[in-house]
This record gives sequence, C-alpha cells and structure tokens, in this order.
Amino acid sequence: MYQQLNNLSDKELISRARKLKDREAEGVLLERYSHLMVAVCLPYLKKDAGAGTQTVFPQLLQRLSNGLKVQSIQKANEWVHQTIKTYFTNPDKQVPYYPSRESKDRLQTENRVEKAATNTIERQQLITHVHQALSKLGTDDRYIMEQFYLEHKTFADLAAQKGTTVEKIRQQLKKAKSRLATQLTN
Amino acid sequence: MPNNTTHNEHEKLLKIFAGIRCLNKDQLPRYLEGRLTDVEKHLVEQHMVDCDLCFDALLALQQEGLLEQYQGLSTGIQQYIRDSIRPVSQVRKMEHYVRKVKQRESMLIYFWLAAFIAGGAALLFVMNQYNYRRPHIIHAAMPVMAAANVTPAPAPAATLPTDSGLLQPHNTPPAPVARPTTAQATPVVKKDTIRTVAPPAVKRPAADSTAVVKPGAAPVKAPAKDSIKKTVVKSNTEEAAKPAPKDTPATVPAKNTEKDKKDNSSDNNTKQPAGATAASASSTKVDTDEFLYKAAMVYQRQGDLNEAINRYKRLSDGNSSRIGEMARYQMAVCYRDKGQTGKAKRVLKEVIRMDGSMKKSAQQLLDSL
Repeated sequence: MYQQLNNLSDKELISRARKLKDREAEGVLLERYSHLMVAVCLPYLKKDAGAGTQTVFPQLLQRLSNGLKVQSIQKANEWVHQTIKTYFTNPDKQVPYYPSRESKDRLQTENRVEKAATNTIERQQLITHVHQALSKLGTDDRYIMEQFYLEHKTFADLAAQKGTTVEKIRQQLKKAKSRLATQLTN
Repeated sequence: MPNNTTHNEHEKLLKIFAGIRCLNKDQLPRYLEGRLTDVEKHLVEQHMVDCDLCFDALLALQQEGLLEQYQGLSTGIQQYIRDSIRPVSQVRKMEHYVRKVKQRESMLIYFWLAAFIAGGAALLFVMNQYNYRRPHIIHAAMPVMAAANVTPAPAPAATLPTDSGLLQPHNTPPAPVARPTTAQATPVVKKDTIRTVAPPAVKRPAADSTAVVKPGAAPVKAPAKDSIKKTVVKSNTEEAAKPAPKDTPATVPAKNTEKDKKDNSSDNNTKQPAGATAASASSTKVDTDEFLYKAAMVYQRQGDLNEAINRYKRLSDGNSSRIGEMARYQMAVCYRDKGQTGKAKRVLKEVIRMDGSMKKSAQQLLDSL
C-alpha cells in the first residue's frame, strides 16, 4: 500500500487525504517533503537542533496536516514552503496558503503542456505560442531563457557568464518564465 | 537538417513548462557535492527555477555543518511521520475489521431469524393442514354415526323405497343383482377409511329390526357381538322403530306407491306393488310386516341368505297375506341362490297353492329351476 501511494502524484495524494480522509496518503505526502522541510528549517534551528526536533517539526507537521484538510492546495511544494516561512515569521498564527497569480499562470501553462503531451496538433500550436511569447520577452530575458533551456547552460555557467550570483540568475529565470506564462495564459 | 534542428529546438521550448518533481532526499547532497549527471543537474536546475522550497533547502545545506544534521534529522522526521501514521492506520484497519465482523454476525443473525420464521411458518402450515384434514374425516364420519345411532330404523327404510322396485316378483334374480351391489359397496366404504363406522350403519338396523321382532330371542346365526349390541342399541331401536310404523301408514307407503307406480309404468308387472300399497293402507299390521319384509330384503341383498331366510320364515309362518306370499317367494329365491333347489321348489309350490298375485311369478321361477 505504501509503495502504491508513493507512486501517486501530489495532486492525487492530496485528493485522497481530503476526500477519503486517508491518513496514509497524508503521511506519504508529508514524508515526500519532510527532508526539504528539515533542510529549510535547519538555519532557523541552527542554535538548538534538539529542541527543533521535539517541538518545531511536530508543530509544523500538525500545521501542514490541518492545512491539508481545509486549504485548496495547487502546488504542494509552494504550500509547504509558505507554511514553513509563516511558521518562523509568525509562530502563533496559522496563515492560510494562497497561491500567487504568477504561480497560477505557471500552473495553468504546465497543465496545458501536460494535456498536449500526446496531441501533436496541440503541441505544435503550443510551440508556436511559446515561440511567439518568447520573442516578445526582453532581450536579456530571452537570451537567458534560450541559454538555459535550449543550450542547457547551468546556473553556475550563466552566473559566471553574467558575473552575478546563482540566486540572481535563478530569480531572473523565474521572472522571465512567469512573464512567458502570463502571456500564454492571456 | 536545419529543419530538424529547429524542430528539436522548438520541442525544447515546451520543457520550460514541464512539471518536474522536487528533489528527493539523496539528490540534495549529491547536487551539492556535484555528483549529478549533466542531464540530471539540468533537470534539477529547471525545477529549481520555480521551486523556492528546493532552492532554499540547497542554500541552507550549503552552510557548514548543516549537511550532517540534515541526514539524521530527515531520517528521524520520516520515522516520526511513519510512527504517527501507522498506529492510526492500524486502528482504522482494526475498526474496519471489527465492522466487517459485526456485519457478518448481523447477517448471520438475520439469516437464522429468517430461517426460524420460515420454519415456524412451515410448521404452522403443516399443523393447519393436519387440523384441517382431521376434522374433515370426523365430519365425514359423523353423519353416518349419527344416522346409525340416532335413527337406525329409518335408515334402511330410507334406502328401501328406492329398492322397492326389487320387490317386484318378475325380477327373478333379485339376489344376484343385489350381491354385486353390496360387494361393490363394501370396498368403497373401506377405501373411504370409515371402516369402523360404515358396518354399524348397515348392520345396526338389522340388529334393531330383530330386536323389534323378537326382543328376547337371539337370531339363528347372529354372533355374540350382535347380542351385546342389541342391549346397547335396544333403547334407540325401540324409539326409532316406533316412529317407523307411525310414518309408514301415511307417508312412506304413499311415496312407495308413487315410485312403484312409476316403475310399474315402465315395467309390465304392475299389479303386485299396487296390491301391496293397498294392503299397507288397510292395516298397520300389514305395514309392520312389510317393514320386516324389507329388512329381510336388506339381508338378502347383503348376501346373508341364512338370516334372510330366517326372517322370511318368520314372516311367512301363519301369514297368508300378500306379504307372506312375497316372503315365501323371496325365501324360495334365497334357497335357489344357496343351491337348495329342492327347498326352493317346495316353497314355490306353496306360493302357487296360495293362489295369490305371486302365483304366476312363482310358476315361472319353478319352471326355470
């Protein structure tokens, strides 16, 4: 049963946990992101790691478990990240998860691409649309997108090429992708 | 070639929006240590463009000393999640199992309840059927019993009018005709399982009639049982015998005469029944004799020829009336049936000598012997 659940997508696990009240599905979903949660939390628990394991992680898991029952979650990684951030910024208040508009646009475009996986005509249409949207981007954004996605350059390569940090390159790519998704959605 | 390369480049554009899962537990340190392949590294970075969680995790693990903590803590939290989920799942499974067992038990209870109800219904049905049939037998037997006990005398009287046609002397073989009818009648009675009831209905009147004729004297060939029955039934027979003579003068003979007339119209021999009715109308003694004559006829038809002969003898002794003549005639028939042709001839000669209405019939019978 555990193996079968482990092969399911985030969306299916969330659906099972909410509709069927499947605790095992909920556990598999939380376990899938637990190591990332630990890694993100480590800088906050740097001083007292022992206390973190006894209090922070159970509380965080409880918040995630509660949020899973009441919130509409479209992207599990964003939901977990936001819950961790809000937990450390405002530990007493449980802020609900709301996906941003850019995130929604990205998700919608991703779903379109996923749906067109087997339909050649739709794929061709999508490619045309993406190409047109890409041409409408700024020169810098288009260049970095082409270098990363078409030329398979790494963050480190681009950062070295541009003379900036990896984080800035990633942020630039993220913004360019969001603009592209917004153009495709609208 | 240029077309293919451009087509591949365009296909790569869709990878911008390809859904890629977050980094797993092993990929994080491997990425940090640079132990990923180029393709794998590119996929991870493609995913990290969007995923803040994975990028923050990588940034956190790049700090010194946290990578060691990460391995232990991630294993611990996964175990914690499994431990916290497993008991709940086990409890749920137990609940599910218990619910199933309860459902099965309840189904079994319903089954046995339904089976018990069905069994009870079947038992009731059988009991009803048994009760329905039992009274049916009793009801079927009761009228015969009642007829035998309450009105023993009228029973043969009631049968006799229909048989009065047999009194006709021209029906030369009355006894042979009567024998098969009785032989057929008794098996029918046996089939109806009224064995115990039917014989008294037939025999009692005869016993009663003997009691009426000779209360003190026992019949010649009657068994000891009859003598016992006589004492028991005596009171009934006396009561029953009394109304018979009362009724016979007015009603029974009249009916007999009507039926006889009808029979006589169909038959050629019309004189004797008409003469008999005239005699019965004249005096009550004649009516009693006629009743006794009919009782003897019953014995004759039943095949008890000795008893019938005895009764005919009693009737014919010192009786020169028409009944006496008919009794002699029937006695002769009985003798003939028994094979005693000598006695039959002697009795028939007596009838001829009496020169009555039966003379012609007696002569014919004598000639046939």
